[in-house]
Amino acid sequence: MATPGIAAEMDRQAAGDAAGRSWRALLSLENLVMGAAVLAVIILIVLPLCALLAGSVISDEGLSLTHFQEVFSSRLYTQALINSLILGAWTGLFSILVGVPLAWAVSRTNVPGKALIRATATLSYLSPPFLTAIAFVNLFSPNAGLINIFLRDVAGMPWLTFNIFSMSGLVLVTVLHTFPFVYLLTTTALSSVDASFEEAAQILGASKWRTALVITGPLVAPAILSGTLIAFVNAIALFGSQAIIGLPGRIITLPTRIYSLFDYPPEYGLASALSLIFVAITILALYLQRAFLARRSYVTLAGKGARPRLVDLGPARWAVFAFCVAVFIVAIAAPYLTLIAVSFSKSWGINFWQGLTLAHYKFILLEYDVTQRAIKNSLILAVIAATVAVVLGTLIGWIDLRTKLPGRRLLDYAALIPLGLPGIVMAVALIQFWLRMPVALYGTMGILLLAYVARYMPLGVRSANSALQQIDPSLEESARILGASWGMTMREVTLPLIRPALFAGWLLVFVPVIQELSASILLFSSQSITLAVAVYNLYETGYTEPVAALAMVNMVIIGSAIWLASKLGGNRNQSAGVAN
Amino acid sequence: MAGITIKDVSKNYGGKSEGAALSGLNLEIRDNTFVTLLGPSGCGKTTTLRLIAGYLVPDTGSVHVGSRLVSSPDNVVPPERRGMGMVFQNYAVWPHKTVFENVVFGLRIRKVPMEQARAQVEKALALVNLTGLGNRLPSELSGGQQQRVALARSLVVEPEILLLDEPLSNLDAKLREKMRSELKQLQRRTGITFVYVTHDQAEALALSDQIAVMHGGLLQQFGTPHEVYAKPANRIVADFMGLVNLLPGRVQVLAGKQGLVVTPGGMNLELDVPDGTKLGDEVEVAIRPEDVTLRAAAQGTAGNGTIRELTFLGNIIEYFVTLGSGEELRVQAHPSQHFETGQRVAIAIDAAHCNVFPRAVPARLAA
Repeated sequence: MATPGIAAEMDRQAAGDAAGRSWRALLSLENLVMGAAVLAVIILIVLPLCALLAGSVISDEGLSLTHFQEVFSSRLYTQALINSLILGAWTGLFSILVGVPLAWAVSRTNVPGKALIRATATLSYLSPPFLTAIAFVNLFSPNAGLINIFLRDVAGMPWLTFNIFSMSGLVLVTVLHTFPFVYLLTTTALSSVDASFEEAAQILGASKWRTALVITGPLVAPAILSGTLIAFVNAIALFGSQAIIGLPGRIITLPTRIYSLFDYPPEYGLASALSLIFVAITILALYLQRAFLARRSYVTLAGKGARPRLVDLGPARWAVFAFCVAVFIVAIAAPYLTLIAVSFSKSWGINFWQGLTLAHYKFILLEYDVTQRAIKNSLILAVIAATVAVVLGTLIGWIDLRTKLPGRRLLDYAALIPLGLPGIVMAVALIQFWLRMPVALYGTMGILLLAYVARYMPLGVRSANSALQQIDPSLEESARILGASWGMTMREVTLPLIRPALFAGWLLVFVPVIQELSASILLFSSQSITLAVAVYNLYETGYTEPVAALAMVNMVIIGSAIWLASKLGGNRNQSAGVAN
Repeated sequence: MAGITIKDVSKNYGGKSEGAALSGLNLEIRDNTFVTLLGPSGCGKTTTLRLIAGYLVPDTGSVHVGSRLVSSPDNVVPPERRGMGMVFQNYAVWPHKTVFENVVFGLRIRKVPMEQARAQVEKALALVNLTGLGNRLPSELSGGQQQRVALARSLVVEPEILLLDEPLSNLDAKLREKMRSELKQLQRRTGITFVYVTHDQAEALALSDQIAVMHGGLLQQFGTPHEVYAKPANRIVADFMGLVNLLPGRVQVLAGKQGLVVTPGGMNLELDVPDGTKLGDEVEVAIRPEDVTLRAAAQGTAGNGTIRELTFLGNIIEYFVTLGSGEELRVQAHPSQHFETGQRVAIAIDAAHCNVFPRAVPARLAA
């Protein structure tokens, strides 16, 4: 019946549907690979989380809630909790105030310079938050901040000085990283609202502003709220800026408090309990976000053909443009120019331009022995982590969409859990788990790799999922019926078709990994130190100018990695902002 | 030999309680025939096709190809080891491979030497009139050409069975007609068993040696195009195969298989009635629009209907005639026969071509 070549093929079962029907079939390549993916999710995510849970309820007296009691009764911890919530709330609010006008300007008005706004949002998202924080410290630290010095000593206006080491300073620096979430979701929603909705209101006599208020506003409100919650979740999870700006200002937040619990003697139980509370907040916020997003469905009704109508702002567009430029200056121009200036100045101060030097770069690149090791480590880790995350993501997405494996939805959910885990919590969970294991992973590059893969696997799953959804299953089925095995079908049909999306997904993981600080700060050792940790440590030691030089090196590496990857990936540029 | 024997096959997709996608299907598809699975969407025809291909596992029953068992609830030979071909509704031509690479795929898997494979691909492309387009990418081809690539890709491996899932439904009317006759010729020339899924009854009638009419997961009738059209097994088949008027009536006289059915409007039809029909039974008479003849009502008589509306379709005129009893009859007539709306007409029905079905539910329109 079948040609000999086919009969000689290994016995393989039809996709998923027939899985588990015989031992030979169980050992097929397809099932082995899928089994490995399931195992990876369990080891990377499920077991560490269980260890975190166990660690929080097991104390010297056995099973008890002592740790939670202590967390809720001590001001040390409740204050951190309150500070985190205050920070998240203000950040969310200001993310709306910055993100929504920008989104509206880009997608609904004739404001000039839209490319600039888009670039501002993308760059703000891509910039490592701790670098922005360091830059702003150089401008606004109470005594040495350049702008503060200028205002006080040169302009004679001391009342205008601004202390960055405060909650306002922390909110400012954090918003610069989180407003793109609101911006992006709002833009997407606004551009999918068909103009006919608005025209229908206007023909009934509603004015331009009234239409915006009662038609457009409610239509995109779920998207705005959803973006705000993502901004909130991201804001409270950022270790870098909260350590750099919060600690000198005595504003202790959850990540920095958890971090301090690892000072000798480490309080693993307390750290676990505090981490779980942290996770609860994050999960609640993400749950609300999903609920809002689910209500958004009516926005997309108009489909592809939706052509939003642009509002003619008249002369007012220059005012809107000025606002956009202001955001660009604060979010991008000021921090980067500051870091560049600091890195080239002999000594940072009001007359910095008088002694420009390359000495700091020389020190960083050639004399400071940590740098080269950190660069090497970060590149290796980012390349491996991005690759593994994308491969796992592809397999999980494939299992979810193309098989009938029982529990496949559960697998998909498990792989998305890390979206709700702040980096430092992920680190605590991994420490709790691997300290109990007979393998000495703590302090090696291995544990950093596990942390990165686990944290960013959701991005891999998302990329693969959306790519697979665009490929009709019949493309794979037609290869099967021609005699191709599962492996052959993947190699010849599925993978080539989703390759561009996988490249984009790879980049989506690579960029945050290379600037990861929140989890790395607890997991690194002097041998496995990464670039972000090196920058932070150097900053902690008080080297202002070399830190700036190292920061610039960091940016160059990120920039060239993005450039290289987008070249290799066939120039398929997907907005990085879809991360959450 | 590659006939297909489907025995007692049922398939229920998980979670759906309101009836199986397919229940108790028995079908004997002979070697070297063109068989069509025909029915509206959701009737189970695509499920049947995917069960034959091995993409689905049956809940009960078995599928044999020749004497080889290929599907049963515990053992399903995967698609890649069935040696069949399949053409999909959306063509499923791989967009990242050229026409040649698409077609040669199955031969590469069979480890056919390159020289020989090249020759076979050339032959397959010639068979579907695509000679010389081997280096094109699918995006550079029209829909009809892509469909032919899909055909060539399936044919080049010389399957004994070719499965086609609504392969013409995405083509425009003219191209559909052209491809239809090409498909038929192809089947005759190659001797491959074609199993063809469609919801288009005209397509099924034009192409098939045998048609399996399906509805609600059940096989309604399996027969030649002429059988299913002229002698539908039940009302569902009659309704699905082309246009049909269904008039209520009562069996007035019965003599063996012959019966006299009287409609509420007072028309008497002498025709064959199904076995088991009793005197006085309520029945439905299925009358094709082309089996009705209209004449102008004779001077002074009322006739038995009034033209309510007419539609000129070029080769025919379609009349909607209101009967005295209030029912409406759809009639197709030659354009030379012209009536005006409102005109009274006499109706003659070719009873030999009508079919009678028992009326299960009390008819709403019965007088």
